[in-house]
Amino acid sequence: MSALAAAKQLLADAVGLEDRAIPGDARIGAFERWDSLAHMRLLLAVEKRLGRELDPDDIARIESLADIEALLQSA
Amino acid sequence: MAIPVSGSETSARGRPVLIETARFNLRSLKPIDASERWLGWLNDPEVMHPTNAPARHLSREQLGRYIAGFDNTHNYLIGIFDKTSRIQLGFFFIDVEAAHHTATFNVIIGEKSWWGKGVVNEARAALLDHFFDRLGMGKICGGPLSRNFPAIFNYKAQGWIYEGTLRGQFKSVVDGSRLDQLRFRLLADEWHAIRRKAQRQ
Repeated sequence: MSALAAAKQLLADAVGLEDRAIPGDARIGAFERWDSLAHMRLLLAVEKRLGRELDPDDIARIESLADIEALLQSA
Repeated sequence: MAIPVSGSETSARGRPVLIETARFNLRSLKPIDASERWLGWLNDPEVMHPTNAPARHLSREQLGRYIAGFDNTHNYLIGIFDKTSRIQLGFFFIDVEAAHHTATFNVIIGEKSWWGKGVVNEARAALLDHFFDRLGMGKICGGPLSRNFPAIFNYKAQGWIYEGTLRGQFKSVVDGSRLDQLRFRLLADEWHAIRRKAQRQ
């Protein structure tokens, strides 16, 4: 599974949609289902997948699907 | 980040805040607002620990004294009330540094049934207008703990600028570990640009 597909799956699970319903340009403030509680679920799921806690600077910078993809790619 | 048990009484009191948004009334709180509901929030670790405040049992009198310590000049304690039910959902506590025209916002939403429903950013937008445009602030800051993911989401969704991380800034009230704090800011011009952009959309 590519980093993009994995990122989409994580975001889909967090917002309670199927991954094909996640827009490629999904970002905070522009994708209504991505709310504060979904964000918490998303970051916890990213940490679980990476097997470590995220660095605070990474936490502060995650605001789009592309950011999640980049984070998974860099792991 | 810890909420003091007793505030300090001050003699110079400013004009209370009274603001209406689409769903909420925001107003400066008075000792009479000390309620069993609020005392319940203070005793709930799930509500208090994200801000590194200890869950604690307080009496209504103690909470009333805490509320009385806010003077609407140097510091503000502003309740968020649902317009339909008139129930208090949470509160902002805001510190002002008058010499520099800066303010630091903190918020707790105690009513968990309202979590994830955009309470913070709707209320905070109105308060940002008030503090920038009526009270003349030049910069407003926020400082969520790095593990407070919902709060961080709210800052980002509202367009706040991430300034950096204060590593090990606080000692955890839960386990004594060191906690990191993120720093977000809005300058007056940045907030006005966000408002203009929202109006165009």
